[in-house]
Amino acid sequence: MTLELFKTLLFFLTGAFLVFLAITITRDNFANRLNRVTGAMLLFAGLGPVFIALGKMVDPITTSPVAFEDTTLYALHYAWEFFFPLLLLFSWIFPVDRLSGFRRPRLRYIIFLPYVMHLIIVLFFDDLIDFFGNLSIETSEEGFASIVTQPFARLISWLHLLLSFVRSYDINIFGAISIVYVITASYFLETGRKFVTNPRLITQTKVVLWGTRVGLGLLLIAHLGSTVLPYTLPETLKSALMILSVAAAAGLLIFATIRYQFLDVRLIFRQSFIYSITSAILVGLYIIIVIKSKQLLEPVFGEQAEIVSYAFIILVLLFFQPINHWVDEFIRSLFIRTRTDHRNVLERFSRQVISLFDPSKLRNIINETLKTTLLVEKVFFVLYDDKVKEYALLISEDNARRVVISRSDLMLRGINLLDTPTYFYSLADYREGSNLAGLLEERLVKLILPMKDADHLLGFVALTDKAAGYSYSSEDLNLLGVLSNQMVTALINARLYVESLERIRLQEEVTMARQIQLDLLPSKPPELVCAKISAHSTPSRTVGGDFFDFLTIDNNRVGIVIADASGKGMPAALMIAQTQAILRSEVCNGNPIDIVLKNMNQLIADSSSAEKYVTLFYGEFDTVSGRFCYSNAGHNYPILARANGSLELLTAGGPVIGALPQMVYQSATVQLEKDDVLFFFTDGLSEAMNEIEEEYTEERVRRYVQDHRSEEPQALIDMILKDMRDFDPTYPPRDDTTIVALKIHNGFKVYDGQA
Amino acid sequence: MRLSDREQDGVVVLEPKGKIMGGPDASLLHDKLYEFIEQDKKKVVIDLSQVDWMNSTGLGILISGYTTLRNTNGELKLANVTEKIQSLLTITKLVTVFEAYDTVDEAVKSFK
Repeated sequence: MTLELFKTLLFFLTGAFLVFLAITITRDNFANRLNRVTGAMLLFAGLGPVFIALGKMVDPITTSPVAFEDTTLYALHYAWEFFFPLLLLFSWIFPVDRLSGFRRPRLRYIIFLPYVMHLIIVLFFDDLIDFFGNLSIETSEEGFASIVTQPFARLISWLHLLLSFVRSYDINIFGAISIVYVITASYFLETGRKFVTNPRLITQTKVVLWGTRVGLGLLLIAHLGSTVLPYTLPETLKSALMILSVAAAAGLLIFATIRYQFLDVRLIFRQSFIYSITSAILVGLYIIIVIKSKQLLEPVFGEQAEIVSYAFIILVLLFFQPINHWVDEFIRSLFIRTRTDHRNVLERFSRQVISLFDPSKLRNIINETLKTTLLVEKVFFVLYDDKVKEYALLISEDNARRVVISRSDLMLRGINLLDTPTYFYSLADYREGSNLAGLLEERLVKLILPMKDADHLLGFVALTDKAAGYSYSSEDLNLLGVLSNQMVTALINARLYVESLERIRLQEEVTMARQIQLDLLPSKPPELVCAKISAHSTPSRTVGGDFFDFLTIDNNRVGIVIADASGKGMPAALMIAQTQAILRSEVCNGNPIDIVLKNMNQLIADSSSAEKYVTLFYGEFDTVSGRFCYSNAGHNYPILARANGSLELLTAGGPVIGALPQMVYQSATVQLEKDDVLFFFTDGLSEAMNEIEEEYTEERVRRYVQDHRSEEPQALIDMILKDMRDFDPTYPPRDDTTIVALKIHNGFKVYDGQA
Repeated sequence: MRLSDREQDGVVVLEPKGKIMGGPDASLLHDKLYEFIEQDKKKVVIDLSQVDWMNSTGLGILISGYTTLRNTNGELKLANVTEKIQSLLTITKLVTVFEAYDTVDEAVKSFK
């Protein structure tokens, strides 16, 4: 009896659940054919168990002499069989709507015909038998009329026979038809699966397919069981199996709906639904425990069971609280917190992209996220390319194929005005003459997601319709809006990362250039018997525009050069490298100093623009005679601090090198004596500036050299650098700073020229 | 650097203000000069009275302007050269290249 009650309850709950789901799905989006068909299918699937449960409930109560199996109410339960044609219909529209491809779509209603007939037969069998029975009596008349009525009567008696046959085996006949329907439906579902590329849709289809397979298996056992096996299955088991098969198919469908969002049933619905079920189970359990508690406690506590049971109830209540929570969490994790829930989508997406710096991988994740969570059929990207400064539609995933969009494209301008996800059709005003509009139309684009950073359009994502013909809900649009904001952040991150890589690479190149420049500078000054030379150079950036060099001209003569290219950094460094090379080759040719500078100027003026020039001082020191012959091409005047304290400036020469062609240069010669100091420097020293914008000045350099002329060259350089840095502590210095100092140790034998 | 211009007796007078330091300044002066060259106005005086400071790149800009004009048979002269710029021109020995005058009027007159 209890088992019977349990069965009834189970049937009723299954049925009620299916009917409830059917109503919800239909209501959710009545305009959608898939919703309507699925709703109807589930409604009829639910009717079966509900009728059986009702039957079982009515059965014991009824006192009428007529067996319940013969009542109209019972006969009506065959209506649930409409599930099968609806399943077939479903298989035609899911996962791909193939109905529109049919030549005569209205003919599809034929599939309902057998079940309409079945219902008529079970409902009106007795009336029909009576009707045909009455007809057959009339045929007994003899005469001419019998010629007409004879075959007619025979037909009627055959029909009568057929009807009786069908009535007695109807379950088997229509069961067989149902099996054929299910096989056909699963065939269509199977072939439909091949049209699907969307990963989420694939999973949905798989679950639905398994549902039909399990249902089919149970149906076969129910029907073939009675014919193949030696003993017949009891009628209850048979019907139970059939119901089970429907419940399995429908159950998996429900699973697909809730877990994989097979239909766009709102989250709130799913949440409240699951909440009610868990609550119902727990409350039921709780009530059973409370009811049974008295019986359980009585033998132990005897008369005091009443009091103890209250304590027990409180205990159970306390104990149930965490269980309730746990069960709720568990069911939530099973159904609610799936990959497709919006909050979850955002969490997952931001987690994935936060550490992602490869733009193409980023596109893949965006692509995958949109396809699996929103079932978008196709995703296209139009992105701004920093390298070519153009927008481009990416056709293939690997970025290899792309169509450049003109920046004056009207549609692009229209999209530039958008802030939120917008339907493509609403941009019709921008369509005229737009190449982009054509490209998007070709690709059946429905929705545009602009990606904007402040006012700059980074690009946009173009989405086609959702797969299986679902439409975008307002919830979807909200999600897409938030997603596109996240995409913007991710895109900017990725771009910054690429830029920083580029910067690191450039930095490495600059470091290499710096090394080359250092290699070009003399590693140490030449060692002379008569004089001591020291040098120093600090670039303001990694590579500098200053340089100094020492050239060995012959056994007696040493060339000293100090130069400063206009500007700073890499361009200045390149200029310097060129100057150094030209100078060395000119000096090798054995030309006098003025000609060396004239040729250099001509070569550099011809090969560089006018605003690029070099100030350069070149002198040749004769170690035997102590004579220093020089020419100054617009460079800061080197200082000759005589041992006696007087100062001379080496000014003779001509304009800066490389600015203007056809310049001429003078040269001059000074005789150096013991303890004289020659001090060469660039404007990085004299133009050092303190915080109140005062310059160090050439005047101060001159005074300092004059005051410290007794120092050794290296010490003099170190001291003046320290003085300069006390004045202007900026490091690296604002400008390249280079100093060369020379001090005469031995006196020279004075020639009189003719010697 | 800010750059204004006017015309005086058929001579273009450019008046840069502030610091002449390369970067955008270069193209600013360059574009302005080309604008006048296209109008066949090739007598130019740069009034340096309001230039506080000029670095090597700034000097490069002046040289470039000078070359540009000379290559189109025009001429660039300087006026109101401050002490600082004068010493820069002296050191670089560009005083021999640039014609410099104490006042704009004198510079304009020199074109006649």
